[in-house]
Amino acid sequence: MKNNVKIARIQADLTQQQLAEKIGVTRQTISLIEKGKYNPTLKLCLDICYAVNKTLDELFWVERDHHEEN
Amino acid sequence: MKKIEDERLKLQNLQNIRIAYIVQTFGILGILGYDLVTKGLEGMRANPLWIVFIITTVISAYLSMSISVDHESNRNSPKKSLSISFGVNLLISAAVGIFVSMTDGYTMVNGLVIGGILFICFLVPAMYIYYLRAKRQDEELDE
Repeated sequence: MKNNVKIARIQADLTQQQLAEKIGVTRQTISLIEKGKYNPTLKLCLDICYAVNKTLDELFWVERDHHEEN
Repeated sequence: MKKIEDERLKLQNLQNIRIAYIVQTFGILGILGYDLVTKGLEGMRANPLWIVFIITTVISAYLSMSISVDHESNRNSPKKSLSISFGVNLLISAAVGIFVSMTDGYTMVNGLVIGGILFICFLVPAMYIYYLRAKRQDEELDE
């Protein structure tokens, strides 16, 4: 699943490690989410949003056409 | 050792445990099968691994009941299903009890005990299923 976590994280001036520590997960999990290889739970999505000051829409919303391609 | 907080690793951990469980089950089955071939049925049942195997099978059957209840699509009232299974259970236990007490070498008491045990053994899962169905219905009413 494509998402904007990486862009938001760089805008918030955080490394993967810093973001991971803020949320309480491992760096590898952040990396996999950014690559779209791990499907986080809604709870973790919200934690990421709070950490980078964005909404769920901004980070995870994808248009339907694009979603069905994946 | 630190407690795992990462949800991805928790999930991974559960999947690893599942693989270990599968290997373990195959190991137990292999040992029991070996005992069955070399020592016969009685020899196999004398092995404590037999009890472990039966207990885990029963536990997994009870746990999967909550999944099959959620999977059901019919909307029968749980009370009705309970009374049907109660009736069938009573009928089967009574029939077995009567046949046992009529068999040569067995007394009326034997028949009563065997019928009673059978009745209780069927009653417990039926009550559990009833409890799960009633709970699920309550959850649906909350919507």
